[in-house]
Amino acid sequence: MKGRKLYNRIAVLREERGLSRKELAGKIGVNFQTVGYLEREEYNPSLDLAFRIGEVFGLPIEMIFSTVPMKPLSVELMERRIERGE
Amino acid sequence: MEKLIPRTSRRLAVVINYGAILLFLVCFYLAGRIGWNVPVAASVVTAILVALITFFSLHVRTKLWKLVHTKVENLDERELQVTHESLRYAYGIFTVISLLVLLVIALLTPQWDSLLILIFASLLYLAHTLPSSVIAWREKDY
Repeated sequence: MKGRKLYNRIAVLREERGLSRKELAGKIGVNFQTVGYLEREEYNPSLDLAFRIGEVFGLPIEMIFSTVPMKPLSVELMERRIERGE
Repeated sequence: MEKLIPRTSRRLAVVINYGAILLFLVCFYLAGRIGWNVPVAASVVTAILVALITFFSLHVRTKLWKLVHTKVENLDERELQVTHESLRYAYGIFTVISLLVLLVIALLTPQWDSLLILIFASLLYLAHTLPSSVIAWREKDY
């Protein structure tokens, strides 16, 4: 079964936190090449791996993964604030 | 970080590697028919060298040999998926080639040997039923 494409912010979040691909790979328990595949959105992670990535970045998985192309995190946070009327 | 080899180069290496093995076999066949001579011996040496060089650059340098021979417990989920797919393809290709070789041997046999035909039929049956037999053996709900 070929799943639908998942978009993610892994590359941005990793660089923001100053992590190398190897360091992130060590934290989430995969090969560093797999991090490359994830960042290029050429591989959809399992739910378990998605949660591990979320735990490393301290973010809920819906902030990292999406089924539609993702906007910058700052834009999304701003939109959420506007929606809440803050 | 290791230097990656582009897919086109890897595919070319696959073709050359198997081509060298085929050349090696053809040379031995020719040597059996016409006897050993300098061109045949030179071709054998060339085939062995080309096979070794392409084997090293294709399987060892890329660490693909290590990947497909690593225990399942030590692979991450993407590597598991990649090796699973490659084994699925490899099983099918290997089965077809093995059965073709057996068929050719059977056809080249002067008299049809009933045992050879039965072995061929049994292997054909085994090749098609083995995957589902493994699932039947291992899985809980089916």
